[in-house]
Amino acid sequence: MANEPHDPNNPPSRWRTFLAKSREFAPVWTLLALILFFSVYSDSFLTLENAANILNQVALLAIMGTGITFVLLTAQIDLSVSYMATFAGVVAAYYTAGHLPQPWPLVAALLAAGALGWINGVGTARLGIPSFMVTLAMSLIASGLSLYLTRGRILFDLPPLSETLGSGRILGVKWLVIVAALTLLVGHLVLKYTRFGRYVYMTGANPKAAELAGVNTKGVITAVMVIGALTAGLAGVVGIGRLGSATPTAFDGMLIDAIGAVVLGGTSLFGGVGGIPQTIVGLLILGVLRNGLDQVSVDIYMKTLITGVILLAALVFNILFAGRKEA
Amino acid sequence: METTAPLLELHHVAKRFGGIQALSGIDFDVRRGEVHALVGENGAGKSTMMKILAGVIPDYEGEMVWQGRPVRLRNPRHALDLGIAMIHQELSVMPELTVAENIFLGRQPLRGGVVDWPRIFREAEAILAELGFAHVNVREPLERYPLGVHQLTEIARALTSGAELIIMDEPTSALSPMETRHLLELTRNLARSGKAVVYISHFLEEVTWVADRVTVLRDGRKIATLEAGTTDKQELVRLMLGKEAAFFEESYMGGRTVVDRHAASQPVLVVEGLTRPRTFTDVHLQLHPGEILGLYGLIGSGHFELGEAVYGLLKPTAGRILLEGRPVGVGPRRAIDRGVAYVPPSRRAGLFLEKPIYQNVTLPWLAQISGLVPQIPREVAVTDEVIRRVGVRPPDPLKEVVFLSGGNQQKVAIARWLVEPPKVFVVSEPTRGMDVGAKEEVMKILRELSQAGVGVLLISSEPETVLAASERILVMAKGRIVREFVGETVTKEQLLHAAAGELAEAR
Repeated sequence: MANEPHDPNNPPSRWRTFLAKSREFAPVWTLLALILFFSVYSDSFLTLENAANILNQVALLAIMGTGITFVLLTAQIDLSVSYMATFAGVVAAYYTAGHLPQPWPLVAALLAAGALGWINGVGTARLGIPSFMVTLAMSLIASGLSLYLTRGRILFDLPPLSETLGSGRILGVKWLVIVAALTLLVGHLVLKYTRFGRYVYMTGANPKAAELAGVNTKGVITAVMVIGALTAGLAGVVGIGRLGSATPTAFDGMLIDAIGAVVLGGTSLFGGVGGIPQTIVGLLILGVLRNGLDQVSVDIYMKTLITGVILLAALVFNILFAGRKEA
Repeated sequence: METTAPLLELHHVAKRFGGIQALSGIDFDVRRGEVHALVGENGAGKSTMMKILAGVIPDYEGEMVWQGRPVRLRNPRHALDLGIAMIHQELSVMPELTVAENIFLGRQPLRGGVVDWPRIFREAEAILAELGFAHVNVREPLERYPLGVHQLTEIARALTSGAELIIMDEPTSALSPMETRHLLELTRNLARSGKAVVYISHFLEEVTWVADRVTVLRDGRKIATLEAGTTDKQELVRLMLGKEAAFFEESYMGGRTVVDRHAASQPVLVVEGLTRPRTFTDVHLQLHPGEILGLYGLIGSGHFELGEAVYGLLKPTAGRILLEGRPVGVGPRRAIDRGVAYVPPSRRAGLFLEKPIYQNVTLPWLAQISGLVPQIPREVAVTDEVIRRVGVRPPDPLKEVVFLSGGNQQKVAIARWLVEPPKVFVVSEPTRGMDVGAKEEVMKILRELSQAGVGVLLISSEPETVLAASERILVMAKGRIVREFVGETVTKEQLLHAAAGELAEAR
């Protein structure tokens, strides 16, 4: 009967359990299969040096992806993250050129990004505008602010801390990778081991039920949009250090990869399911794919197409299993 | 009817799920021209049997015979092709489309490669007229019509697709009394016109009225098939439960003496002149500690919204809600902290089906149980205690709610509020769609809470529910409180009459 969707006389079948498990582990198998594939077809792929390369290549995505994970877990989306990252980088460089004492340009950059995230949050949670619409508008605003501040030029005066974190090393390890790892770690701890983290999951799983249980769901959604903006801002201020300059479009192109990595890892687009470990797997899938395709003799003009097809496959998978949830 | 050979027969049908025998040794038949009702508690096997009849479960033991020939249904499509249609409890209609489009959903007749609209409208009008609903304009979007017409649309769809056997699963659970009546009459007419109907319902009164025969299931077995004319509700309840259920039998039969033992005490909740346009108007009520106050109304009477207002979900435009003399304030969080608990009328709205029981139970209390960092072992311990108290089966805090039966899901929704006993407990429709045994258990929990001093506001559109536990009953109609029953014997008929007085007279 429809009011007893799962009869106690009807325990989850082995098939259902298998499906649930494959949802959890499919990204891991994908990652392992890709690693195996590239190891076989390229001599240069499975080396320590290349592994370090891959980590370096996904580090900025990882910082941004941490915030996106929070946003997706509440069943929202943020299409402005990459533009806010660019904007934060521009703000940091702009005030450094303007001789604001360090570290204030960095503080200003993060505050500016956070403020945009707050507007995203208020627009979504309080005004009820769908988050993809609000953040689409915000991507134009952030982009416009970047252009306005730079007047279209490239800024070369960077905060020293950005340069260190973006391209320096400590004990042979890139600072950038360490920053990324720390961001992911903090994100994981907040999601798994704080009350706020539980509220994030429950708000995504059933917003109405969370509200009825006394959770301030509007506050939670506003907070995750701010978190998404702050990690984007962090990616921006260390990213300019890696590039060596701040341009008005520096990180704009990262949007699809950043959201794609989180979804590839298995975090549900419908909220409530997923987390940082999944995001790490997704980041590695994307990193291994991008890097591996460079190492094997694939037509360079096919790379984007192949990445796109794999992302689409992951989305189909994501939707299929979210549908299974309802069944 | 001219033919007495059964349209459909089941012989020794059995079905196992893993280690559990959901159905065993079922012999069943339904003839043309009859309404054959299927009753039993949740988990008795009704849903499994229905799914076998409709082709949803293809792998079962035993034999199905359709019009004298053995068949094995492969899928619902196959069943439909043979002439077996199922009307779902949760309707599968598209409210935005027109009535006619809904009737011909997915199989619009074509002419020259385009949809033949004149024919669709003509045939839709014809079938509705045949069903006695000629006043429905098939060109209007379905959403302009009440739920009864939605149900009707599904039946019309089944008939136009050539169904001989129609399976109805709780068809009246969302209907008003008048719509229910229409549907029951329609069901009888279907049978009279030579169709066969399998009718599944918790409402025994409907069953005895509409059915020719009644089959009772218990624990996956057929207990009896009775001629409806020779049985009554009492016998059916006894057969369904297989044990004495004296208390519930009483409330099923209607007729309950309400008392007012609490008028002398200070009320814990006072509602004064509460008004919200198009929702409720000038509502006054007082709830005393330890009292179960029933609030009855037909769907759309504003009684559920009144419950939401007490919990801070709806803001009134005038009037006050006082808890122990002070305004409750806005928002569930404030209400919870002041000692108001709330169970919404829809179970799905209040629970996280994909999350474990303990996360469902502790969400309002995370700050109290474990501060900033959730302490899962403590949450599990707290949950374990409360779900055992209300009798959730299985009492496993780590199990996801989706794997529980409807009754047990509801117990989880209630158990949440036993972590910190509330002062006022607003429960809306706590037993909808539940079987008799589970209903009784939920009512027992509410009675125990009231004996412990909790003021319970029991809101429902099912007369049985308010009659089962209330000590005092208020009736709402069109946003106003129209009647109070205190210190007298109340029957179901009186409640219905009070709630639908104008409607009844209009008929």
